Amino acid sequence: MVGVSTTQMKSMFEDMVTARHYEERLQEEYLEGKQPAFDISAGPIPGELHLAAGHEAAGAGVCAHLRDDDTVTAPHRPHHVAIAKGVDLKRMTAEIFGRETGLGKGKGGHMHLFDPDVNFACSGIIAEGCPPAAGAGLAAKKRNTDSVAVAYLGEGAIDQGAFLESLNFAAVHDLPVVFVIEDNDWAISMPKERVTDVENGAQRAAGFELPGVRVDHDDALAVYDAAEEAVGRARDRNGPTVIEVQVHRRMGHFMGDPESYRPEEDQAAAQARDSIERLADDLRSHGVDDDTIEELRESAHERVEEAIEWAKDQPQPDPEDAHEDMFVNPPSGVTDTEPDYELAGGDD
Amino acid sequence: MADTDRVAVTVAEWPDDADSDEGVVVNWFIREGRSIDEGKSLCEVQVEKVSLDVLAPVSGTLVEVVCGEDDEFARGDTLAWMEPA
Amino acid sequence: MAQQEKREVIERELTMSRAMVEAIATEMRDNEEVFYMGEDVADYGGIFDSTEGLLDEFGYDRIMDVPISETAYLGAAVGAAQEGMRPIAELMFVDFFGVAMDQIYNQMAKNTYMSGGNVSVPMVLTAAVGGTYNDAAQHSQTLYGTFAHVPGMKVVVPSTAYDAKGLMHNAIRDDDPVVYMFHKRLMGIGWLPAPKGPKTPVPEEDYTIPFGSADLKREGDDVTIVTLGLHVHRALDAAESLADDGVDAEVVDLRSLVPLDTDTIVESVEKTGNLVVVDEDYRSYGVTGEIVASVADESLGALDAVERVALPDVPIPYSRPLEQEVVPDAEDIEAAVQRTQ
Repeated sequence: MVGVSTTQMKSMFEDMVTARHYEERLQEEYLEGKQPAFDISAGPIPGELHLAAGHEAAGAGVCAHLRDDDTVTAPHRPHHVAIAKGVDLKRMTAEIFGRETGLGKGKGGHMHLFDPDVNFACSGIIAEGCPPAAGAGLAAKKRNTDSVAVAYLGEGAIDQGAFLESLNFAAVHDLPVVFVIEDNDWAISMPKERVTDVENGAQRAAGFELPGVRVDHDDALAVYDAAEEAVGRARDRNGPTVIEVQVHRRMGHFMGDPESYRPEEDQAAAQARDSIERLADDLRSHGVDDDTIEELRESAHERVEEAIEWAKDQPQPDPEDAHEDMFVNPPSGVTDTEPDYELAGGDD
Repeated sequence: MADTDRVAVTVAEWPDDADSDEGVVVNWFIREGRSIDEGKSLCEVQVEKVSLDVLAPVSGTLVEVVCGEDDEFARGDTLAWMEPA
Repeated sequence: MAQQEKREVIERELTMSRAMVEAIATEMRDNEEVFYMGEDVADYGGIFDSTEGLLDEFGYDRIMDVPISETAYLGAAVGAAQEGMRPIAELMFVDFFGVAMDQIYNQMAKNTYMSGGNVSVPMVLTAAVGGTYNDAAQHSQTLYGTFAHVPGMKVVVPSTAYDAKGLMHNAIRDDDPVVYMFHKRLMGIGWLPAPKGPKTPVPEEDYTIPFGSADLKREGDDVTIVTLGLHVHRALDAAESLADDGVDAEVVDLRSLVPLDTDTIVESVEKTGNLVVVDEDYRSYGVTGEIVASVADESLGALDAVERVALPDVPIPYSRPLEQEVVPDAEDIEAAVQRTQ
């Protein structure tokens, strides 16, 4: 096993604690104003909210190998990936709260977060981020850079055409892309075995002559190792990889989901496994003391609180702004004048 | 104008793998009376399934179109006449 | 000594496909980041001649054949465009949009807006459209209304070689996504002969035509015929015949659906009072309804008569007499005009 440095471990730990605390705090903020009767569009965070508590290792372990110029696309449960990628947390939070100074000026919301400074984007249609990630890989290849692209998707997305097509496209064009499947066993209320016969989603890669590897436990260091190989392969221009990571969904599919379909033992098992505490143990066995670990936790918590406070202070967008930002150029394109040629008239 | 001044426009190189000795004019790219530079595309013809451009043999004026669009022609036929500039 | 400016008359004519290709080639020479991707665009030169001759100059890397996998390659075009490249991605038939519409209308069209203008998608989506050659319901559509309806993409429809080149230059240079719909019958393909009209003189140098600018292809006082694509030429044929009957028709070629040049249309209707809209897309919930409503919105009093000439709301049938029945021809346009007089 290639050694992961203590510095990297601490950085992953902090990202993971940030992500967990962020989701727990957003849950609180979200439920405000929506009780006792759950009205989805009421409160400071209206609409759907898909929280990733329990997914942290998949975000941190992969993004530890990525630079700002590497592209990441994520699905509708993106916050842990965004945090690990280095997305501007304040502006991301403002966007989730629908404020004018959010990443998308309030026009995208939590499922459509774009941070071009770190090449991060997420979107709300299943597997939809896979083709654009392949496209970012294509651009890197054409420009002869060594940047890579990573597409995240859930285990419920491996049956969607967009994923399968992207595997083939990335394979035949030898693109520097890593596909990361986050297997939390539930596609909303449908357990994995009800929708696919495949136990290991990474097996899908073999069908496209690609390498695939499954990380069975949401052990951040195991994710780190698998990602090191995959990202390295992509950077060396040796083609795509599929990684499947077992994670656990600690909360419902979306906020408001009563999870009545989910057996209690399953929920309890999810609560019992905690990749964050596991990484804390790993830190201790690497000689990091409890005080340092506590400092990292506090720093993460502070960062989250700061971001949320800042976001809640931001102005609401001006309703008139709803009509802006459809295009970056004028509607007429790069010109608004017609050339003045004299074309030869017909003479027959 | 003397006939000897006029230059015939023909298909300079018949496609190698074509069995047929006949073709069809598909598109003219200038009209009678207009001028064109040597080497530019005068028209597009089709011989069996192959499309090829017929280039102006000289710079000058297209004075007479013999085979119009959709007209058939045989190998060696004059498609049009040009007057050199 | 005063210099007399002699205006050069453009004499060289091109088919619409050659005009398109000329624009693409020029842009590709000027900018390494422009590339073309689609099915059969390399050795074949595009099923409808959209990339004819480009492989020889630019090679397989920039004239890129893709697997039959529209979601993947159109989505990849979106991703590459978001990285700043300028891909031109082709739908071999616009009818194939169905298998990839998510990447088109939920990503290509919306990412700029959802990001508050922080991300742009400088790609061109080319698509072959149209029928009249018996390719039946799944290969003959234009779908102008479908693409114009969903916000976030510019949509252009050239009807002549001259327009095709200018619009293509603009489309490639524009930092916004542009859907460029070219009619198969206007391309000048040997096995799908074009009517008279789309082959026009085309300047050698590059030039741009603005989007949202309709073109008066024929001036007249008695009726305004608003149309696009193939039917510009059918309308011009109808106009010739109508002239014999003493009816002077004005033909407005939209050239651009998004943005739409309502000003030119309204100005014409205010002159003639009679509006005939001709569209090769389905009648209901489409271009004809949109144009009539736009005029009514701005200048209801100017309208004396309205006629909508479009495909009926049926899938396009295969057999010749059936297809001819549903796709409007010059006679249908003439009859509609006569109904306004």
